[in-house]
Amino acid sequence: MATKRKAAKKTQRAPKRQASKRGASPTTTAHRAVAITADARRPPKERTAAAAAAPLAVCESEDDFQAMLKVLRDGQAPVKVRLAALQAIQAASFSVLAFEGCRGDYIATLRQVAEDPDPELRQRVLGMLMREKDGFAQKKLLEGLHDPDKALLPPEKALQLLGNDVHADTYEVARAIARKPPNEAARREALRLLGADATAAPLFEKLLLDKDELREIRQIAASALYALQPDRMQKHARDILLDKSDYDDIKATSLSALTQLGDETLSDDKALMKSVDRFSTGKTTARYKQTARRFLSKYGR
Amino acid sequence: MTELQFAALVDGIAADAQRRDGLLDLLREEHAVYRDRSATAIARMRGWVLLALERGGVSDAALAFVLEELDTGTDPYLVAAAARALRSYPRPGATLVPFVLGALANIRYRDEPLSFAAYGHYAVSATGTSAVRELLATLAWLGRHAKGAVPQLEALHEPGGLPPKLRGDVRRALQAIRDAGQGAEEAGAVSCCGAQAPPPKCCGSAAGIDSVLLEDHAGDRIGFEAFFGGQPSIVAFFYTRCDNPLKCSLTIAKLARVQQGLAAERVADRIRTAAITYDPAFDLAPRLRAYGQDRGVRMDAGHRLFRAVSGNDAVRDHFGLGVNYVGSLVNRHRIELHILDAQARIAASFERLRWDEREVVAKAVEVLRIGGR
Amino acid sequence: MDVELQINNSASPGARFLTWAPSPGRIRMTNPAGATGSTVNVRITSASAASAGAVVFRRGATGAFANSITVPVPVNGTSVPFLVAGRFGRPSTSNGDVTIEARAGNTLVGSVPAMVRIRKNANTLTPAERDRFVAAFAQLNNQGLGRFADFRDMHTNVSSPQAHGAAGFLPWHRAYLLDLERELQAIDPSVALPYWRFDRAAPNLFQLDFLGVSDSLGTVRFSNSNPLQFWRTDGVQGINRRPFFNTGSAPPGLLSEAQTLALGTQYRAFRTMEGNPHGMAHTSFGGSISSIGSAARDPLFFLLHCNVDRLWAKWQRQNGRFNAAQAASYDPGAHPVGHNLADTMWPWNGITGNPRPPTAPGGALAASPAAAAPGPQPTVRSTLDYQGAVSAAARMGFDYDDVAF
Repeated sequence: MATKRKAAKKTQRAPKRQASKRGASPTTTAHRAVAITADARRPPKERTAAAAAAPLAVCESEDDFQAMLKVLRDGQAPVKVRLAALQAIQAASFSVLAFEGCRGDYIATLRQVAEDPDPELRQRVLGMLMREKDGFAQKKLLEGLHDPDKALLPPEKALQLLGNDVHADTYEVARAIARKPPNEAARREALRLLGADATAAPLFEKLLLDKDELREIRQIAASALYALQPDRMQKHARDILLDKSDYDDIKATSLSALTQLGDETLSDDKALMKSVDRFSTGKTTARYKQTARRFLSKYGR
Repeated sequence: MTELQFAALVDGIAADAQRRDGLLDLLREEHAVYRDRSATAIARMRGWVLLALERGGVSDAALAFVLEELDTGTDPYLVAAAARALRSYPRPGATLVPFVLGALANIRYRDEPLSFAAYGHYAVSATGTSAVRELLATLAWLGRHAKGAVPQLEALHEPGGLPPKLRGDVRRALQAIRDAGQGAEEAGAVSCCGAQAPPPKCCGSAAGIDSVLLEDHAGDRIGFEAFFGGQPSIVAFFYTRCDNPLKCSLTIAKLARVQQGLAAERVADRIRTAAITYDPAFDLAPRLRAYGQDRGVRMDAGHRLFRAVSGNDAVRDHFGLGVNYVGSLVNRHRIELHILDAQARIAASFERLRWDEREVVAKAVEVLRIGGR
Repeated sequence: MDVELQINNSASPGARFLTWAPSPGRIRMTNPAGATGSTVNVRITSASAASAGAVVFRRGATGAFANSITVPVPVNGTSVPFLVAGRFGRPSTSNGDVTIEARAGNTLVGSVPAMVRIRKNANTLTPAERDRFVAAFAQLNNQGLGRFADFRDMHTNVSSPQAHGAAGFLPWHRAYLLDLERELQAIDPSVALPYWRFDRAAPNLFQLDFLGVSDSLGTVRFSNSNPLQFWRTDGVQGINRRPFFNTGSAPPGLLSEAQTLALGTQYRAFRTMEGNPHGMAHTSFGGSISSIGSAARDPLFFLLHCNVDRLWAKWQRQNGRFNAAQAASYDPGAHPVGHNLADTMWPWNGITGNPRPPTAPGGALAASPAAAAPGPQPTVRSTLDYQGAVSAAARMGFDYDDVAF
């Protein structure tokens, strides 16, 4: 085994040395990298490492591009190699002008792989398609939320990816999941998604004011309310800061919110200033005290 | 109604020559069938209607919907369906060429493989068609009317133009244009780009509109008639979460240029400008202000961005707005700008296609002058 | 006796920001009381703590820089020019941490606080530097209502041909970052855009108090005191970023700095770094930053590109590639519009409509009181000589902690 490992290492190093001896251009090196990635006889580690050098060549030649797509589609190839090929193709896609001719096959292949048996591949590919607001991906993810037998991803991930398009028809299903979540992560993602729904402001008010609610949920609620109804957020942030029984973390969030959005009327609010001043010198973390001082500094205290 | 039921409905209407005009009704954005659908579902549905129009032939009345998709469409399926539908229009002409070329420029870096095999079918192979291929086929169809497009097509055929895979389609288009012979290029029956404002719409009595309370970008509130009465005004519609850069963002940026045009004509104090959001629950005053500032819009007492804090339905009815919603969020809308007279009645409208700032200014000045007599 | 010191030819405190590249300074007598001749020899020097910024001076356009210079200042109020620069390796850590002093003999006759404001490795920022940067960035976003919306709108699928896949990739992003940085400086002038050195571990960057910690889904979490918790783009709250690597290490598969700099001595070869390390850095994550149309939704994007720009700057310094007249400094030949040396760049040129995008968000490139270049509508050419190495007037007012002048 040790002997075999040493041999593999030599093979891994060799292409780079040869390239520098010949003074190979980056393009030549990239073409060779594609060939190595596509070669099923090579060890997976070597193929994965080679893929990193491939982005330059991916769309330069149709043969190279198809070779990389084939690796991505190849259910027999090690998943790590397929993921590395995916990353290389995706990196190449940033060169938009050069990638124009590749885009059709790229999208088609992503759709094929969206239903791959490997969950990580599915997740990555569906994420890439959803960031393009692809109707195919959206349809699949929504189907999965309505019918778990058809789900390609866990509900929390599906919700997160669907959030890439505010015009997707997700608010109803998000509300249902927020009311009756299959797990906490799904509830959290459903609430994040609802942060774009203007009618959800009352829900976020309720969550923000609920001291029994999870800290992270209250933080999400604060952020959502801040965007949907900033006046209400200012009022509640103030109330939280005056409430001696509420938690320091939500006070810190409230202070951050008021430092950013608070209007000049707060300057005359003696009770608020006193409360924040106490917070800045009281028994809380140094970070939170600093947050309080930043707020006080904004209002010239 | 499920999407498949919708597709069957469309197919049924398309198959019946007596009912084909009903397809146009299904292209109205405000049609109830689009309520609570996602934007991508609407793209599938509208695309299917356009393909149905192709089978029966696009009429003059339907042409506006087809051209709209070419003018501002960003969904490859819809753009491709529009390109195909255009090929069934009985009177091709040179005025259609800029729409096709413009669509090609808009969609080429966002294209995707397409399938028209069945409703809701997505291509998982790139061997079929795409929006660019359909647009090139439409240029070929335009034949001699597309002579003006030859230089651009030749540039697309060169290195640095379209990818090599598509150059065959470009060559076919060029060949078709050249083979169409030396016949005269005809302008066609269409006059382009919103130059013809449709006749004034409804609403002499403005019933319900007096209940509308507007809040502007500064948070100040005013009744509809208090702002729009007494002087002519220009009012556009938009929303800040619109993700089509050819629609709302461009509309508001162009409104800023309209304001400059009014100032150049020295009528900026005699013609008001406004933009009203389709999304009043989300587009609160600070959001309106930021959106306007980012696009260089003049905002003061006579020039405002609004949301309807009450009576939003009355606004929709009054203007016959082409908009629909999924929940409270807009899922589809058309471009629409209206010029109101001093009685807040609609005097002229620019709908669907991107309007020209100078035409809007000219029309508004005309309304001002008519009102002054 | 009193003198007035001006930095960057301005008395405004907003101009007192220095980089490694020399800035023009001026000194003039404002109160000649006690002067006996027509001129007074004034020594210009600086004072700062060991951990603070340090500056050097030079009388004329050539010669060595020194810790102090002596200039004869006319008592009639005529200005005397000099040059001042940050001492390489001694950037400031806060605004005004270095004082430029003028002394007649032992008497202090004038002084101004200044800052050697340098783009630094984000992983090594002090907590105060980090907090100022984060606060300014969050303010720029202002939960979706701030000027950041324009920067997000500049980098979309629609606009991507203006900035990617052709020679202008590096110049466009240089102008983009500079525009953003100047907007941040309008909020807090002590802020410089830090860079994410992606070929090295940067564990301090991916923390709750900085750019956040990703959970297993890729949702980024912030501490309750981090104003980035209110980050909002496209009307949606939060940031999605799922690292495919342990953020205590560097992402695998990226070209190292040395490998990147060794891509070639001609610009045409060097700019292939757009694929690796640039593209590979983007795609070391899932989430917004991994797709071109959504990448600018993640604040990390700007630190990633700051490193890309630093690599270009280092390559320029290494190979002397500041002069656009040299073919090796840029890609010769014809390029798509917006990528040729003489082209102005969208959106700053305000040109819309095919072949440019339909709108031009953000307007002209932000001005700076500390540097006049590149002007409101930069050309591709104007981005090359960012230090003023060829022409002093081209200096843009930014520098990197490890790229000397």
